[in-house]
Amino acid sequence: MTLTDLLLQQTINGLSLGAMYALLALGFTLVYGILELINFSHFNVFMVGSFIAMGVLQMFGLTGQDVILTGLPLVMVLLVTFAVTMVASGLIGVAIERLCLRPLRNVKGPAAMITTIGVSYILFNIILLSVGAEARNYPNPMPNVRLHINGAVLDIRVLLIWGVALVLMAGLYVFVQKSRLGKAMRATAQDAEAARMMGVDVDKVVVMAFFLGSALAGAGGLIFGLYYNFTSFIIGFTAGLRAFTAAVLGGIGNVPGAMVGGLIIGLIEALGGQIAGAWTDVIIFSILVLVLVFKPSGLFGRVAPNKS
Amino acid sequence: MSNALAVLTRPIAWIPEARRRQLGLALLIAAAMLFPVLHDNDADIDSMANAAAYATLALGLNIVVGFAGLLDLGYAAFFAIGAYTYGILSSFQLQPPWTEFWEPFRWLGLVSRMAGDGDAFVVHFTLSFWLALPISAAFAAFWGVMFGAPTLRLRGDYLAIVTLGFGEIVPIVVRNWSDLTNGAAGLNGVAAPHLFGWSFGVDSTPYYYVAICMVALLVFISLRLRDSRIGRAWMAIREDEVAAAAMGVDRTKFKLLAFAIGAAFAGMTGVFYVAKLQTATPEMFGFPVSVMILVMIVFGGIGSVWGVVLGAFILQLLQSWWLEDLTGWLNALGRVVHNAWLQQVDLAPSIELIFGFILVGMMLFRRDGLIPATRPQAALTFEQQHAEIRRGGFTDLKLQGLGGDVRTGAAALEVKGVTVRFGGLTALNAVDIVVPNGGVVAVIGPNGSGKSTLFNAITGLVPTESGSIRFHGEEIMHLPPHTILAKGIARTFQNLRLFPNLTVMENALIGQHARLTTGVFKAIFRPPATRAEEVGARVWAMEVFAIFGNRLTPRVGQMVSGLSYANRRRIEIARALASRPRILLLDEPTAGMNPAETLELAEQIKSLNGLGLTVLLIEHKLDVVTTLADTVYVLDHGEVIAQGTPAEVRRDEEVLRAYLGRNAQAAAAGVTA
Repeated sequence: MTLTDLLLQQTINGLSLGAMYALLALGFTLVYGILELINFSHFNVFMVGSFIAMGVLQMFGLTGQDVILTGLPLVMVLLVTFAVTMVASGLIGVAIERLCLRPLRNVKGPAAMITTIGVSYILFNIILLSVGAEARNYPNPMPNVRLHINGAVLDIRVLLIWGVALVLMAGLYVFVQKSRLGKAMRATAQDAEAARMMGVDVDKVVVMAFFLGSALAGAGGLIFGLYYNFTSFIIGFTAGLRAFTAAVLGGIGNVPGAMVGGLIIGLIEALGGQIAGAWTDVIIFSILVLVLVFKPSGLFGRVAPNKS
Repeated sequence: MSNALAVLTRPIAWIPEARRRQLGLALLIAAAMLFPVLHDNDADIDSMANAAAYATLALGLNIVVGFAGLLDLGYAAFFAIGAYTYGILSSFQLQPPWTEFWEPFRWLGLVSRMAGDGDAFVVHFTLSFWLALPISAAFAAFWGVMFGAPTLRLRGDYLAIVTLGFGEIVPIVVRNWSDLTNGAAGLNGVAAPHLFGWSFGVDSTPYYYVAICMVALLVFISLRLRDSRIGRAWMAIREDEVAAAAMGVDRTKFKLLAFAIGAAFAGMTGVFYVAKLQTATPEMFGFPVSVMILVMIVFGGIGSVWGVVLGAFILQLLQSWWLEDLTGWLNALGRVVHNAWLQQVDLAPSIELIFGFILVGMMLFRRDGLIPATRPQAALTFEQQHAEIRRGGFTDLKLQGLGGDVRTGAAALEVKGVTVRFGGLTALNAVDIVVPNGGVVAVIGPNGSGKSTLFNAITGLVPTESGSIRFHGEEIMHLPPHTILAKGIARTFQNLRLFPNLTVMENALIGQHARLTTGVFKAIFRPPATRAEEVGARVWAMEVFAIFGNRLTPRVGQMVSGLSYANRRRIEIARALASRPRILLLDEPTAGMNPAETLELAEQIKSLNGLGLTVLLIEHKLDVVTTLADTVYVLDHGEVIAQGTPAEVRRDEEVLRAYLGRNAQAAAAGVTA
């Protein structure tokens, strides 16, 4: 494999990882934009989402990578799996907001953030105790078609990941920009009090942010499984931290910023991983620290003003 | 039952109240000392020693999270740094070739010469456990400062995620820097502590006593720091960072100090932990450990010294004793009722799930923890509440050291051509204001005219674009807020920025921060000079409270958040006065007060000015302005549109236009005439 091929291959890999991080980063950004809360439970909503999707695929009788579907059955299975996973994950997010975070909405200090850490820990351990510690082989019904571009390989699964991520992100963007509720979300992010006085139902907006963010995290969890062919209780932590870095890099609170930030982090992981190996995480965290210290508004700036 | 309880608790009533605390402490110490003697079970003593080690970690994190309010999610990193410092310097991990360079270290007993491959000799590090405790503490504190310095300026929630990142980086470094740390396999053969030639070995009892002593030491340090100038500065930062800076607290310095001391506690504990286990692996210091320590302080009570110790012991013993017992009972029950699931269930792995529920449950239902940090306040007596209001005695008021400036006509504060912009908005445009020594100057103007921005610019809270601000001839523009306060400029805020969860007295003591000198060592050892300084600070605070008669004096022990609006305004003025300012900046001091209270406060301000305190005042009530001010400046759209005596300004056409609009001018002329 030549250097160009290697670069091309790692760019393909990086874009796939990046699409996954971007989906996850959107959840951080939506909630942070509105509540100024770092939602640590998001890490493990992603992980739970990947197990929910595994359950759905298993219900279709898929257990490993040996059953290959094509044509309409494949499309239907994937559509149903994505839909069920996203709704279920979204509902988990809504439940977290209603049960654990809404009572703390007006409490100053770190109480809400500590609660999200607790929730994250609960999700993590529920999966650990019920599913076990070993990584699970992920059902994957997609045909193993590989396109060769010079020396690099483009798997059909990668194309699917790109396609799904693109559709979801475009959908979210249009929703936030064009819809009535999207406009209410943006208004609440700017100034919750003013939005409330203008008749925006802030509770509804917060619920929507949690639902959408968690649904996208669930989709991300499914993509993780399809991409790596495994899932485990432990995947939320690292992916979550990287996705959070992506959100900060793009300017937390900024929806397009989170997408671009996700792609950049994915590329850094794939390309940097070739050079830095085990130290890649150190590089990514250093980016997080440097961005926060020198340009806390990120590459594209915050949408919401600083409400300090 | 209740009768039996009453009989049992009756002896407590015989003990004088003042002695109960001491007696409780003595009993606690006796119990801790006797435990290994009375309960001769090595495994249980070992559990207690571990619990004590976690208590020291919780005490350290409590300084960072509880006192200074900085949420640190990577605290275990410092635990790791301390642990590996001792582990590497007391094991066979590093074996550099022997050279002359090591001779002095061998003489000090830090290394020994050891036969290596062939004829060559290599160095064997033999750092003593007792020496490693302070060394690792200092080294961890150094890294605390290194991690903290770039990040402490971040908002609190960003700090949490950055510390989480650091907490992850340290184990990654440990895992991958195999030459130094032996990587994932871990350090082995770490030396056990020696005392007078006797090795602790693997017997739990000596470790238990060391751990108990460490807990006692760190509880003592925590309590001493909490009740000192240092602890008050931390709590001020926790309550309101901006107000803390305006009251003279150097935010960066004190946040770093909290980080460093917290890290030092963890570094020390790391040494103990590794010496006890005689091994160290990267897994011992990951995110779950940081979370566990956080759970301990949340459970015990964030900011509560005894609470976090209790929290650490309960959770550690839950993990090592009670879950096991409970599992045994459930299994036994399962055998009785022939339930297969009950027979096999093992609760031990669910400890982290329990931790998660504790975090959420405590935050939702009992945020103050088992032992809340704030003492319940004694309510005022009926007499105190209904006492006749006295207006503040300036006759018996000494107030030496306040102002004392005579009206020389020289300028105390000179603002020249100051411009402040927020993005496209010009909040102040080339504003000139002079406050003469010993004078009272008022700034008036419509809402949004830039009055509060002017105060913020003078006190260093907003950056200025151009101009100059001189205080007694010295340029103070671009100085940090705490330095400006130290120079003698104190202020109040329009929207009240008190420290709500601290007492009235504590608020006034924080006001004196810049005038007191107690540092960390004096706070811990509390020499006579420090005691005298503390007493003096309290006396001075009472003198300042007396300005407001008996409105504040009976309430000094009350939490600020529970007081009336007018009293909170008074406390803010008292807090500013406590800093012994040469000029006092009052931002709408009578806002929200009724006419009688307004009049009272105006008189008090007048009296303070009579004592030689220079005053710069923002006020909307024109009668107050007329009574107090020698000179009035009128701001509109960030520019000075008029200045002069109150009477002159009242007649000024531009002022009338700004306040009342063009057409109302004629009508208004009749009103003001």
